[in-house]
Amino acid sequence: MLKKIHHIGVVVENADEAMKFYRDALGLRVTADRVIEDQGVRGVLLEIGGSEIELLQPTRDDTGVAKFLQSRGEGMHHICFESDDVDVELEGARAKGIQLIDEKPRLGLAGMICFLHPKANHGVLVEFATPLAEGH
Amino acid sequence: MAIEAQYIDHIVISSNDSAATAKLFADNFDIEIKRTMTRPGTGAHMEFAKLQEVILEFAGPGEVKPYDEVKAKLSGVVLAVPDIHATVASIREAGFSIGDPHPAVQPGALFTGMRGGTNGVPFGFIQYNAIPIEEKPA
Repeated sequence: MLKKIHHIGVVVENADEAMKFYRDALGLRVTADRVIEDQGVRGVLLEIGGSEIELLQPTRDDTGVAKFLQSRGEGMHHICFESDDVDVELEGARAKGIQLIDEKPRLGLAGMICFLHPKANHGVLVEFATPLAEGH
Repeated sequence: MAIEAQYIDHIVISSNDSAATAKLFADNFDIEIKRTMTRPGTGAHMEFAKLQEVILEFAGPGEVKPYDEVKAKLSGVVLAVPDIHATVASIREAGFSIGDPHPAVQPGALFTGMRGGTNGVPFGFIQYNAIPIEEKPA
């Protein structure tokens, strides 16, 4: 069962520059900041209430995030729903015939994650996440 | 001065057919559409779901044209703040541009929006219980 909005993903050119607004002006606390090599992104999570804002900065040009930035510029990239069990959510989506990007959950900044194809949601990219017990 | 943003109040998903997009999200994710409304002034059709404190707002035109394909996108974020005037002052002090607070659609609330500087994200702030709610005569 989906519990809440875990985060919204925002693609940025430069996470350090973006944090001048999100961290410095808004005062949001950074809960994670690391490069995910296999996805070619630097991800920064900032806490806001029970949710987070995830800044995504491409670190190379051949990734989906880099292509999003090249074609659309900076902006909102995806919405992530939190679940207690991402495997169950993924199987539920598959059973409903929802087009998937990830056939099985993988490790991401928010925990175990998977993405659904935006075509399944009128063009909106949706992620499911189950945070790891030890946090980010 | 800290803004003390409390939580994401709502996330806007705009669509050329907001009723269809709301129904799709309800079906795909087993979320309940709790309210629908026509926005005063613009006639926009809006539907709302809520997960914990965050409202998903599906917004679209009041009159749906027969498009071949329904298209939606994430189109804004609004944060709840305890003192919108302090928020505006703090954001301006940090060098960013933001509008003056004005009454929101939500009764008793004040709203304002950023004017750029947010990495392509339309960003707004809302303070609930900011102004007295006008009582209409019976």
